[in-house]
Amino acid sequence: MPIKSPFHPRTAALCESMNYKEWAGYYAVSSYLVHHDMEYFAFRNASGLLDITPLFKYSVKGKDAARFLSRIMVRDISKLKIGRVTYCCWCTADGKVVDDGTVMRRGEYDFFVTSADPCFSWFSRFQRGYDVELKDISEEVAGLALQGPTSRDILKQITDAPLDQLKYFGTTEALVADFIIHISRTGYTGDLGYELWVDHEQALKLWDLIMVEGSAYGIRPAGLDALDVTRVEAGLILKDVDYYNALHAFIDDRKSSPYEIALGWAVNLDRDPFNGQRALRSEKEEGSKWAITGLVLDWDEIEGLYARYGLPPEVPGMAWRKSIPLYVNKAKEKQIGYATSGTWSPILKKNIALATIEEKYNKVGSEVELEFTVEHVRHTVKATISKTQFYNPERKRSNPGLKKDKP
Amino acid sequence: MGKKYDVIVIGGGHNGLTAATALAKKGKKVLVLEKNKTLGGLASYREFHPDYFSNGLLQDTSCVRKQIVDDLQLEKYGLNIRSERPSVTLLSKNGKAIRLSGDVKATASEISGFSQSDGKAYVEYSNFIKNISPFLTALLNEVPPDLMNFGTWELLALGKLGWKLKGLGKKTMNEFLKVAPMCVADFLNEHFETDFLKAGICAPAIYGSFTGPWSSYTTLNLLMHECTSRVRIEGGPKALIDALEKAAKNHGVTVETNNAVQRIQLDKNGSVHGVVDSNEDVHASAMVLSTCTPQDTFLKFLSPNEIDYPLEHDITHYRSRGTTAKLNIAVKGNIRSRHTNQLFEYGRTGNSFDEIEKAFDAVKYGRYSDEPILDIHIPGSATPSGGQVISVLVHFGPYELREGWNESSRSGLEKTIMNTLEGYLDFSDCTIVHKELLTPVDIESSYGITNGHIYHGEHAVDQIITRPIPKCARYDTPVKGLFIGGSGSHPGGGITCAPGYLSAQRILKF
Amino acid sequence: MSSKYDAIIVGGGHNGLICAAYLAKAGKKVLVLEKRYVLGGAAVSEELYPGFTFSVASYVVSLFRPHIIRELNLAKHGYEVIPMDCSLTPLPNGDSLARWGDAHKSRREISRFSQKDAEIYPEFSKVMTHMGKLAKAVIDHPAPDINSMKPGEIANMLRLGKAFKDLGPDLLHLNIKLVTMSALDFLDRWFESDVLKAPMSVSGIIGTFQGVRSPGTAYVLLHHYMGQLDGSFRSWGLSKGGTGGISIACANAATSFGAEIKTNAPVDKVLLKNGKASGVVLENGDEYYSKLIISNLDPNQTYLNLVGEEHLDSDVVKEVKRFKFRGSSGKVNLALDRAPEFACRPGIGDHLRGDIAIAPGTEYLEKAFDQAKYGEWSTRPYINAVIPSLTDPTVAPPGKHILSCFVQYAPYNIKEGAENWPKYRETFGDTVVDTMAEYIPGLKDMIIYRQVLTPWDLEQQMGLTEGNIFQGELSLEQLLFQRPLSGFAKYETSIESLYMCGSGTHPGGGIMGASGELCAKLILQSKSI
Repeated sequence: MPIKSPFHPRTAALCESMNYKEWAGYYAVSSYLVHHDMEYFAFRNASGLLDITPLFKYSVKGKDAARFLSRIMVRDISKLKIGRVTYCCWCTADGKVVDDGTVMRRGEYDFFVTSADPCFSWFSRFQRGYDVELKDISEEVAGLALQGPTSRDILKQITDAPLDQLKYFGTTEALVADFIIHISRTGYTGDLGYELWVDHEQALKLWDLIMVEGSAYGIRPAGLDALDVTRVEAGLILKDVDYYNALHAFIDDRKSSPYEIALGWAVNLDRDPFNGQRALRSEKEEGSKWAITGLVLDWDEIEGLYARYGLPPEVPGMAWRKSIPLYVNKAKEKQIGYATSGTWSPILKKNIALATIEEKYNKVGSEVELEFTVEHVRHTVKATISKTQFYNPERKRSNPGLKKDKP
Repeated sequence: MGKKYDVIVIGGGHNGLTAATALAKKGKKVLVLEKNKTLGGLASYREFHPDYFSNGLLQDTSCVRKQIVDDLQLEKYGLNIRSERPSVTLLSKNGKAIRLSGDVKATASEISGFSQSDGKAYVEYSNFIKNISPFLTALLNEVPPDLMNFGTWELLALGKLGWKLKGLGKKTMNEFLKVAPMCVADFLNEHFETDFLKAGICAPAIYGSFTGPWSSYTTLNLLMHECTSRVRIEGGPKALIDALEKAAKNHGVTVETNNAVQRIQLDKNGSVHGVVDSNEDVHASAMVLSTCTPQDTFLKFLSPNEIDYPLEHDITHYRSRGTTAKLNIAVKGNIRSRHTNQLFEYGRTGNSFDEIEKAFDAVKYGRYSDEPILDIHIPGSATPSGGQVISVLVHFGPYELREGWNESSRSGLEKTIMNTLEGYLDFSDCTIVHKELLTPVDIESSYGITNGHIYHGEHAVDQIITRPIPKCARYDTPVKGLFIGGSGSHPGGGITCAPGYLSAQRILKF
Repeated sequence: MSSKYDAIIVGGGHNGLICAAYLAKAGKKVLVLEKRYVLGGAAVSEELYPGFTFSVASYVVSLFRPHIIRELNLAKHGYEVIPMDCSLTPLPNGDSLARWGDAHKSRREISRFSQKDAEIYPEFSKVMTHMGKLAKAVIDHPAPDINSMKPGEIANMLRLGKAFKDLGPDLLHLNIKLVTMSALDFLDRWFESDVLKAPMSVSGIIGTFQGVRSPGTAYVLLHHYMGQLDGSFRSWGLSKGGTGGISIACANAATSFGAEIKTNAPVDKVLLKNGKASGVVLENGDEYYSKLIISNLDPNQTYLNLVGEEHLDSDVVKEVKRFKFRGSSGKVNLALDRAPEFACRPGIGDHLRGDIAIAPGTEYLEKAFDQAKYGEWSTRPYINAVIPSLTDPTVAPPGKHILSCFVQYAPYNIKEGAENWPKYRETFGDTVVDTMAEYIPGLKDMIIYRQVLTPWDLEQQMGLTEGNIFQGELSLEQLLFQRPLSGFAKYETSIESLYMCGSGTHPGGGIMGASGELCAKLILQSKSI
């Protein structure tokens, strides 16, 4: 039986649809209303408030905390500045991804790490020889994602923290009412947004403050269905959908390297030994087998396929996650990969997908064929390979009053 | 900086010296670094009381491989080796004793004095050992086949072993396959009826294996011991180490004692670059052979991020729960055996399987045995002042004693050992000058062996087939240029010189 | 003289019945002769007390081969196994550990004792499932004959070799560890919590004369993971109507194919003609003739009782006599006037609908074994209890319940001598009830009826030599091509036309049905009938 997050009294009261799913052993709202589109538009036009408590959260403290995390992560965490956050992944000795998440540096010797899978056991395997205290605070700290164009304005109503100065992937402590929370300018929507970390005891107070102050800014509680659309638009991968945890993948073929899941940019190779270094070094030299890429489906072909059956074109009601074969041509002569998740993007008005494709076919702008079922018959439609980031509004990274960052 | 040495050997024990000599003999420039002031490791000659010396922590040299002695021409360096293992006197509680000698007929007739059928069975038993010997010695005296890759060569090597097994003949092979996984108690019960005879024969199968005679697979340990215990070295461990030292030096090996390696240095690519010694001096070499325990080699000499997790996991889960203590006794005067007219050189106690099993039960719960099994060695040669030394390996006393090793537990163990020992030896005509008790914790600290395990790791099937761990079973390791060749490597512990010798053979192939 | 059969099967245990069903299905004329009034052997249900149907001996189903269910259409004949969701380990301090089918729920439970263990649990399951593939390759085929150079045998060896090779080096080496290590040492490679390791390690010792620290016990841990390969999410279950239900389904299948089954028909001897088995004679003197005789009994009973030493080669007799049994377990079956509540988790919930292991620590288990080594039963034994009536209400009257306790260790050879077991039977029963009562307050007042089965009783009642529930120890030297005897591991015996199909043959042990099935298939393949 899943357990309830500290926000459950509020989220349950608001969840008209009774539409829940299980997320990491918690009840999690899929959509508050029967259909998630109002929640999606809240993310994109106002603000959506999402309970992200089910994420796993770790505190890593101690003299060797930075060295310890650098040994585990593909990124050189010792280079991370205080008050900054990085997104990265961590690998097995063979350079296969275990999980991905964010690492926040709150102090010289104080880090906060989030992950999708439980990773306490994995992290603790590397503790020998490091002066570091690793603590699982998953069930002590609750999380909220406040995402959308008005999110900064809402937060400013409840705290005096310098949010105008807080840059993308920055983190700060903030006093809210009479308690302290941590704010990080991060999120899974690819939009302006914040993630708020708060002790369980203060969780409801925080929720209430945000909802009250947010009402003037179009806030809405949002569920995972809406999030799923935004994350595909933002080109953000999801564990167990777009790749598998190498520790749980049943066969080696299901394991992926960071290079294969579009996280190659996060790998810092030339430094002290870290998990997977040797394997990643040689993969870098020899090239990877797979890549995760973006696909934009050809709308005219889709419309044409439906027209054949006398149907108007249909778009998927929600983001999908299943494996769909990707072919080199219409004759299906060779399968060159598979799409793993996709959605109709209401804002782009495009049918988009994330796909794993053989590296040699991964050329932006080139065309492949994706299986597409209409009226029980498997057809293919043309899909153009694109960058994974389909939607990337300027507000995501910009700060009012600060010099504009380069995208 | 130029590389002065082709190979640096960490540890100047019997294996380190053997490897160094074998390598130097093939023209390699070798440096041996030994942390203690005397060479020999577990076979080293140590003054434990003024004028009294213990001839090795391990005292049995009967398993030293004759072919290694021949190849290194140790006889040229003063070693006196004979192809008949020394007699071991099995001692029973009720005053009976049997001398197991290398001479099967003589032993059988002595056994017949207790039981006609056991006498007959001993001949059959010895024949069985003789019959399976070609297979087991092939297994134990060669670099093991590669079980990490399955190419044609590896399969051929495996096929060769399989063929050796088939070559024993159908009857012997089937019998071997039947008995090898058995517990040694079942196996010996099928042959013999006299309890203390069975117990005495089985004892070597139990040493250092963290099992009792009722545990499966102990027969395999026994068979391995029986097939390799073949020689007598006059002067025991000291004579062996002296000859090895001479041979090593004669072949140009540089030996530094009192110099403990601090760490192994790797280059940017993770390959061996050299070692850092106790003076923080760097000795450069592209190859390092460690004869220390696998745990020390990987966990002490390398930084945590220099070995990957699967390797660290395997090494930390390599089982080496020390269960053996040692008591060295310095006496003046005459010691007498209560069982035999003549004082024996090697004696073994343990009256029945149950007694050994019960002695073992204790360590499972972190206690030492109420009635330990003793492996007694009385070298017989008098000390300069006319005294005698009795050396006793004591089974079982755990490394992790639940009450902790302190004055009271130490004296408790010592008393227990003496009580047991006095059942077999008569001290009334002599004075005990000094007793030195080495618990597994002391053994760890004085000899630098992890958990004080006398074999650098338990003799258990999985740790025999691929010793110490699959990735390092053929002496090379995942760290390029780093080799291991101590008792924690194939074919295992005891004074055999085999791991050192075979690791040298392997290094020569690189 | 009765009519002539193609095959007579001596013993109506589940393997014998399955063997009969396969032969009958192939059109052979088959007769099954069962000594008792009821079919099933050790997989038997009996109404020992009015209204209460007990799974007298074997009580849970784990590895019953699913292809047998399909091929014999057993569901049609009444086969129904209800899965168990929970494994509960009550602890003396009032705490408990429950492991569930729900992975996150189990993770949180185990986290209370060790978070590392909780998280590594799925990694362990993954590795074990991989190795289960190998075990499956072993149990679903006859054992290879290492002495033979026949192409078929070499192909069989190569098939196994390939299964090994396909594991890849890491898993291959782990497999070596699995076969040779103790359950506890093996678990130590993953886990740190004794509370978790204790109930996990006991699955390595069930039915063996071994402790959790004994080398060679680790491989039985696989059993828990093989069910997944068989296509069922949960491999452990309770048979509807007791485990006898499975035997009845097999019997129904056999008779539907035309097999004849007689109960109350104890076979005295196998009749030999020119050294060849040609029939059997019952204790009442009736004789039945047949082309083949197939014994569902254990090797000791088959060779030494049914055939007799005088008809056997001395080498064979020697090998039969060295085949080890050493039963180590007993059974206490209780009829209760209400549902038993555990102090650690009050209430009657799903936590009681699985198996309940009294295994509060590895030292507890090892000490229980130590006593057995020296010829005593454990004064605080390992108990595996189930309350089948909570899942299957047909086995007890409404509101009443059955508590079935599998108990280890109860060595056959107690130091007073096995034949003295009857004298100590009830004292042993008290030990078990006392132990259970430590966890179930008021248990003693709930008991309406009690049945105590010692290894001696298992031998007397069910014909299991020395009360070994697997018809012979499952130690490596008695497995594969050495089960039961080297050279006679393909269900044939040293006597022409006499076959064996019980647990004493490969792959042996538990309600798997594989021995009976493989025996029948080999006979049919050889076209000897």
